[in-house]
Amino acid sequence: MNQLILAVLALVIGAGLCLLNLDNRVRAALGLCSQAIAMVLVWSVAVPVMMGGPDVAGGISWAYPIEAVHFRLDALGAFFLSWSLPMTLLGSVYAVGYLRKYFSGPRHVGVHFALLNMVALSFVLVYTGDEVVSFLFGWEVAALAAWQLVIWDYTNSKVRFAGFNYLVSTHVGLLFLVAALMILYTHSQSWAFGDIGRWMSGHPGTLRNVVFLLLVTSFGLKSAFFPFHSWLPRAHAAAPAHVSALMSGVIHKAGLYALLRFTLLAGKPDEWMGWFLIAFSVTSAVIGGLYTVGQRDLKRLLGYSSTENVGIAGIGIGIGFLGLSWDSPALAALGFGGGLLHVLNHAFFKCQLFYAAGCVYQIKHVIDMERLGGLFKLMPVTGACFIIGGVAISALPPFNGFASEFMIYSGLFSNVGMGIWAKLTLGLVAAALAFVGAVSALSITRAFGVIFLGNARDPRLPEGREASRWMLVPMGIHALGTVVLGVVPVVGFALVAHPVSLFLHAAPAGGGALDAVVGILTRIGLISGALAAVIVTVLWLRSRFAALSPRRNQTWGCGYDLPNARMQYTGAGFSTDFSQRFRNIMVLLKRQKAPVGYFPRDSYVITDCVDAVERRLYNVIDHGDDTAVELSEKMREDDPRLAFSAGLAAIVIIASLVLLAEGALQ
Amino acid sequence: MKTTLQVIHWLFVLAMPILLVGVVNRTKSWWAGRKGPRILQFAYDLQRLLGKRPVESATATPLFRAGAYVVLVSAVLATGMAPMLGQFAPVRFPHDFVVVAYTLGLARIALMVSAMDVGSSFEGMGTAREAAFSTYAEPALFLLIGTAGAATGMTSFADLIGHLHNTPYYAIIVAPLVLCLLILLQAEAARVPVDDPLTHLELTMIHEVMILDHSGPELAAMQFAAALKMTLYAGLIAALVNPFNPLTSPAACVLASFGLMLAVALVVGCVESLTARLPMRWVTHYLLIASAAALGCMVVVGLGAGN
Repeated sequence: MNQLILAVLALVIGAGLCLLNLDNRVRAALGLCSQAIAMVLVWSVAVPVMMGGPDVAGGISWAYPIEAVHFRLDALGAFFLSWSLPMTLLGSVYAVGYLRKYFSGPRHVGVHFALLNMVALSFVLVYTGDEVVSFLFGWEVAALAAWQLVIWDYTNSKVRFAGFNYLVSTHVGLLFLVAALMILYTHSQSWAFGDIGRWMSGHPGTLRNVVFLLLVTSFGLKSAFFPFHSWLPRAHAAAPAHVSALMSGVIHKAGLYALLRFTLLAGKPDEWMGWFLIAFSVTSAVIGGLYTVGQRDLKRLLGYSSTENVGIAGIGIGIGFLGLSWDSPALAALGFGGGLLHVLNHAFFKCQLFYAAGCVYQIKHVIDMERLGGLFKLMPVTGACFIIGGVAISALPPFNGFASEFMIYSGLFSNVGMGIWAKLTLGLVAAALAFVGAVSALSITRAFGVIFLGNARDPRLPEGREASRWMLVPMGIHALGTVVLGVVPVVGFALVAHPVSLFLHAAPAGGGALDAVVGILTRIGLISGALAAVIVTVLWLRSRFAALSPRRNQTWGCGYDLPNARMQYTGAGFSTDFSQRFRNIMVLLKRQKAPVGYFPRDSYVITDCVDAVERRLYNVIDHGDDTAVELSEKMREDDPRLAFSAGLAAIVIIASLVLLAEGALQ
Repeated sequence: MKTTLQVIHWLFVLAMPILLVGVVNRTKSWWAGRKGPRILQFAYDLQRLLGKRPVESATATPLFRAGAYVVLVSAVLATGMAPMLGQFAPVRFPHDFVVVAYTLGLARIALMVSAMDVGSSFEGMGTAREAAFSTYAEPALFLLIGTAGAATGMTSFADLIGHLHNTPYYAIIVAPLVLCLLILLQAEAARVPVDDPLTHLELTMIHEVMILDHSGPELAAMQFAAALKMTLYAGLIAALVNPFNPLTSPAACVLASFGLMLAVALVVGCVESLTARLPMRWVTHYLLIASAAALGCMVVVGLGAGN
């Protein structure tokens, strides 16, 4: 407990020191040092808890009206805490490389590092909070810090808009969360999670269902589930690479954490909650996946793939819900285990991919894939990290994404006692998951092929080779994690085993369920390891045959001898055929001017894959605005009938909401 | 006995690709009224390629060559795990079919990366097609497995396929499932009507255009891997139809499996001789037939169990 308080102090003091009137380098160093100290302190508490030690609990007295702040670190919180802080530290190290050119300038870089400290602080608060006040406080710190981090390049109006969009969305989510918490407070008369949990597990029924839906909406907004994702592509495209990485990989996992936390509190869930969560997550995964296909902007692409991956983790959690409601610990272990492992794996490979995108941006100053090309030869480390992350994100062996998806598939195809239609429905979900895997393979191949392979498309872009080591090392550490968790998935499972067993305590007889999973994962690890080893051996053997070392020649142009870089296949060419078939889901805007006459001057085709939800949202807002203006023109403000009917309408709405939630008043 | 079956399974993995390609080509030349190449011609072709010094594009990176061997090793692993003899596979554990499907996925992504690596517009086009069509093919396999899993209550690939014979729905669902697998074979192994391996026009190719720049040992690896994929699906079809159980009557089962796989190759050859490849815009519809067939089986199983 003391270590946690010290860690919070270290982060706050570090953030304060970053703001002092010092050299930018010193500020960054202070930020990194304080984060490293906090990380070691938190590890010293969290790692024993995560590996099965007793919970750490404590409290501090506070002034009225809060009175006391309670903390409790259990295995679930410890699991999230144990990788969130180190990844934030790696992100901050990356920030040193990314922002280095500002260090000698007049800009106050310390603010950025102070905000990164606040992000780390918010993790400590959210993942250890045992009552609503500290939880919400941490939640809000994370949201505000992330907003400030996104608008680093605030002189650009697009970036400001993206930040504002994020700020509004995240607070809409907060409203739902507060609504749910208010319902819970009125019934449990307490802000403590323990009391809330006692009420939730003891009172299944309409009100708990309402709370569940409100919570899923709020946490769905936080984790960018479809259709609550519309802030995400903009924010990820606008933010600096490390901020996008941290938001996508680490900060927004708080939404899934909170969902799991309230699942623990709620005790045995209803069956419909599991099906609802699965349907919600499958939609997210499929549509998020489809949207990755049409993007030109690499960071937007990676942003959509977050929506896809939280969907995959959500499918796991939904299976866990079903397992709990059917009293099947084996299914619950596979579901929650797969979901949690996917959260961790996603944090590893998504940060890695964003870091690679940042390295590309740092050197070339563009992230539009149609202007890049042939970067693998210039930036082999970045390229290798990108393709490792890409294979992992497509859930292919031998990397880590495969291990977690395998667990989720095991849950979907499990043969525990369930109805035949339930089994077949889960089979359909598995088919959807297979589709998502193939789609993400498509978009990752497209991104990697167009950006890193072939020849450079735009000779006007700045020259340059690998980015600085400050950026390569964090990316490499993430890549190492991706490989290790793939080849030795048992390590990942050891990390999630105790958090998962928390859920199994809620179900009867949760003993041997986890052992079966370990057995399967060991085999997966062996197969992945063997696959990797054989591939490496074959390649080594091939390189020994000097007699067969290749001659170099031009790429085969099917008889055409003067190919140039502009003749390569483009990203748009790669995806348009596929996207066209899903044009009901994805909006493809096309503007073109056809060539006219014998010597056409300016002709162009511009295709743009815009977000259907966002477009619809703004359409509604625009129309709503117009309607309101029209209405207000018709009505006279001093008309007493207007005030009267408005008041009546408000009373009816409030009364019906109360009746809906509470039943008839006694 | 299990060891013998293991040996036979691996012999199948090594030899059947060559035989199947030979049978397909023989069938096609028979329909065309030609004498046709030797049955083992593919083996001689591979041997010739292995001795050749390759020519690589100046644009290519080390990934180009690595890709070919990733494709080969993954295809060998996937075929090695697939239950070609019915209720038997050398490596089997719960949900091993996910490993088979995703190892094939790794092979596909490696193939696509090495195709994109040379910066050719033609190979980019082939890659885009391969990627798009695979998204239609992938769900069908999982629907098929989901159906078999629900019908048998088993979890490993070999048990799913092997126990399907004992279920009451077998007579109804075997034909749609075979159709589903046959379409998947044509898609994955690049056969007519999805793709034409013998076309000379780059604009209409899928698989062949992706390996245009491969030569020498790398081309051999790619071609063998493509034949392996055909073997895998032909083996699955054989296992689905094969009436013998490898654990009780191994000799009959192996012979039946061998015959059935050759018969699948014969069918593939006949289809190739008698139909032209589909226009690109219809290929997706054709692939959706596979999913629809598997979905139909799902409904049959669901209704059957409900009564």
